[in-house]
Amino acid sequence: MNPLRVAMAVARKDLRSEWRTRELVPALAQFIVLALLIGNFGFQIDSRNAATIAPGILWLALVFAGLVAFGRTFAAEREQASLEAMLMTPASPVAIFAGKALAAAALLVLCEAVMLPALSLFFGTPFSGDVVAAVLLATVGMAALGCLFAAIVARVRARELLLPLLTLPLWIPFIIAGGLAVQSAMGLPGSYQQAIGLLIDFDILFVVLTSLAARFVLDE
Amino acid sequence: MSVIVADGLTHHFGTEPALEGVDLVLDSAEHMAVLGDNGAGKTTLLRILATALHPTAGRLQIAGLDAFREKRRLRHYLGYVAHAPGLYPALTAAENLEFFCDLQDVSRSRVAEALDAVGLTRFAHRRADQLSRGMQQRLAIARAILHEPRLLILDEPDASLGPDAADLLARVMNDRAVVLATHDQALANRLCPRTLVLRHGRSHGTATRLRVVQ
Repeated sequence: MNPLRVAMAVARKDLRSEWRTRELVPALAQFIVLALLIGNFGFQIDSRNAATIAPGILWLALVFAGLVAFGRTFAAEREQASLEAMLMTPASPVAIFAGKALAAAALLVLCEAVMLPALSLFFGTPFSGDVVAAVLLATVGMAALGCLFAAIVARVRARELLLPLLTLPLWIPFIIAGGLAVQSAMGLPGSYQQAIGLLIDFDILFVVLTSLAARFVLDE
Repeated sequence: MSVIVADGLTHHFGTEPALEGVDLVLDSAEHMAVLGDNGAGKTTLLRILATALHPTAGRLQIAGLDAFREKRRLRHYLGYVAHAPGLYPALTAAENLEFFCDLQDVSRSRVAEALDAVGLTRFAHRRADQLSRGMQQRLAIARAILHEPRLLILDEPDASLGPDAADLLARVMNDRAVVLATHDQALANRLCPRTLVLRHGRSHGTATRLRVVQ
């Protein structure tokens, strides 16, 4: 059985369900715009400090939107008792996990497509390919980790509380490297190449680790 | 040839025993009903037989293979209808089955056949959350037979199926080994020559066609 075909089928199913119900993306996009708006009015933003403050607001909004997006991936499957039906097939649990992570990452990328232009609009910071690349690279690793912990906590009643407690400490490397990359892309001192290199290293490390762990998390 | 050989199946939820030393042998194309009150251990037994739950103790062979070491290989061999239908509400009946065709690695041409077998052809393009509970149960049965399994594990499949439940189940059970849990003794008698009675997680023996007692 082709794991890629399984992963694509799972991702397609999740995206189609979201397209029909529109449960997640509109709410997340609204949350992101509100977070940026609050950041804009909460700080005294001018042309001198915008590049210092904007990356912090960006990562705060992204982290909390990510927690909601990844938390829903497995919670919905548990609520409708469909996860067991999926795991009762011969499909590899790793392929199923990859498909769920892919769909959740795609939904977060949609939200980022709202967030990055809005950030540029509210804070007057440059909307460049470098910023987009840094955010997308961080999304890969954050999606892998977020979905793994979402799968672990999905069977627990206090999952909304547990997910941030487990996920946030392991997202810190992405926030640090992503923050550095975005700051240097916005004109602050720092090596953009070095930060992007770190993000790629973290992506490879956490995608491999979560794929290995997913088999044990989903199999039982 | 025996399809299922279970030896001393035991399962505890924490310290609470749900199943105690249940033995079971099921031959190919044989149908067996599992009867018992609520909490008797029917669902626990069926989840173990479907390899969805690992027992605390005991051995289970399905088609001559160790059911827990080879469980992924056995997924081609068995179909399971659980208590809850476990469907995707925003997808249509056909899309639900197409998705499981991809996961089962079977051709999507099986979707029309499976829908026909459970009488849902007319509702193929209706979303699962717009189907009645009985139709959702039919869809769950269609999903279980998509890959034409040799062994079917059915956990109260007659729940909300309506007056033609027995006919529908007889159709899908034909030529397959089946373990069927139900509260309906008349249905069990009609569909299954053998019956296993569970009480408080213990087997009270098997019988051939139990007499309905008021």
